[in-house]
Amino acid sequence: MTISPPMDVDSLPPDIAAGSCVRPILEASRLSISYPGQRGTVVAPLQDFSLAIQTGKITCILGASGSGKTTLLRALGGFITGAPTGGVLFKGRYLQAPTPEIVMIFQENNLFPWLNVRDNVGFGLRYRPWTGEQKESRLSSIIETVGLADAIDRYPHQLSGGMRQRAAIARALVTEPRVLLLDEPFSALDVTLRRRMSEMTNMIWSALGTTMVMVTHNVEEAITMGHRVVILGYQPARIILDEDTSDPEFKDRYGTTFLALQRRIENLIE
Amino acid sequence: MTNASKAAPIVLGTLSLLTVLGLWEWSAAAGLAVSTVLPPPSQFMAVVAESGFRIGMGSQASPISQSLVSTFLRVFTGMGIAFAAAILTGALLSLSRVATWCISPLLYLLAPIAPIAWIPTAIVVFGISNTAAIFIVFMGVYFVLTIATLSEIRRIPPEFHTVAANLGASPFERFYRVTLPAILPGVFVLLRSNFTAAWMAVLVAEMVGLRDGLGAIIMMGRNLFNNDLILFGMVIIGVSGFVVDRVLNFISNRIVWWRV
Repeated sequence: MTISPPMDVDSLPPDIAAGSCVRPILEASRLSISYPGQRGTVVAPLQDFSLAIQTGKITCILGASGSGKTTLLRALGGFITGAPTGGVLFKGRYLQAPTPEIVMIFQENNLFPWLNVRDNVGFGLRYRPWTGEQKESRLSSIIETVGLADAIDRYPHQLSGGMRQRAAIARALVTEPRVLLLDEPFSALDVTLRRRMSEMTNMIWSALGTTMVMVTHNVEEAITMGHRVVILGYQPARIILDEDTSDPEFKDRYGTTFLALQRRIENLIE
Repeated sequence: MTNASKAAPIVLGTLSLLTVLGLWEWSAAAGLAVSTVLPPPSQFMAVVAESGFRIGMGSQASPISQSLVSTFLRVFTGMGIAFAAAILTGALLSLSRVATWCISPLLYLLAPIAPIAWIPTAIVVFGISNTAAIFIVFMGVYFVLTIATLSEIRRIPPEFHTVAANLGASPFERFYRVTLPAILPGVFVLLRSNFTAAWMAVLVAEMVGLRDGLGAIIMMGRNLFNNDLILFGMVIIGVSGFVVDRVLNFISNRIVWWRV
């Protein structure tokens, strides 16, 4: 990982510098990102944007198409660097490149088709400073956790969509990253499978406590999975709702609290 | 697929082959004129067996297996070098857009040249030697495979590289753990389809210049007005080409079977 020296806390935006009792692990700090569009125009999805990601929580980001959700997620992962102003702070330092400590999971094309589940999940292990036994133990444990122990020798084309995404999650988690970024990971799955995958992700979070940031289009998924739901307004992205959804009342799909927030978010996105 | 439907192509293919052979033998037995130009397998195989499966005059006669090995060695060495060189060139070119723009026109200009067209140049430069034959095969396959490699590299989903980099793989590790396996099946399919061109080029080279190999058997038959030898040479070439194609097909389906 390439990172710059520690930054001066005084230069942080007031909302981040003030912080909460737990220091955020990952922060977009006055981040601006722009790139050339069609016919000489400039697309600027993020302008002076700040967002602090709380350690050990699941943060779900929602917003209309083109609101800059994926751009934000990629920037948080260190995949977009060289912003003209601001940047992404990871553990208090500017992030200059992707790091194995922040791992991203995509909607598709996550698994290498020439490797079986075991080798796909263990792909990143050789870059970790652990002994062979430790690697083996972590590999077995994570494959067991995501329920793929019986499919360890199967190749991606022999797996269902849900199994593929579970393998991708296992591969991301086996290296024990500090942050897991999920870019609409379940959008290609049917409703039943989506719910099962959400429950499984929550279960993994309970077991490992990994900080997660998930971009999704699904309001229900965001409320039930996330401890916090952030709604982005249209370009340049701005936060139009930042709701703490960790209360168990939000997890009852038929409860009034859940339905009220769902309606509110849907109105905001429309 | 049931066992019956799996066996059907093999059974039907064998039956059709046996029918052709039967008609061929029958036409010769019936004394049709075609048998003098196309002696049946029972005739030319008997003649070749009489000579102990050795081709040539007197003490210079050499076993057929030697011709077979010479031709195979030329084709596979040329194709192997071209395969490795094409992947290396394609990978290096993919690192730089400017390099690709500079080299691409040359690749597209040289790719359509049939390998047979390189025979005179190869003989002038390398003389009548194995190197000339290997060079002909190389030139016939290399440019096409390089273009295929570039195109396969462009087809790799960007997520593959992102995932590998994200998990800690260095650029070199990303090449041999992601790029290489991702492009291998596609490039191999093209290698298989170009085998026929390489095979023909070597046979022609053996006919016009080199003194041994399967192509030389046919030329010897022509010089001696020996139809049995010509037909035997043709059958050996056909059967060897078929076997190699099956082997390449097996590698394509069983060893580099995945699709990106």
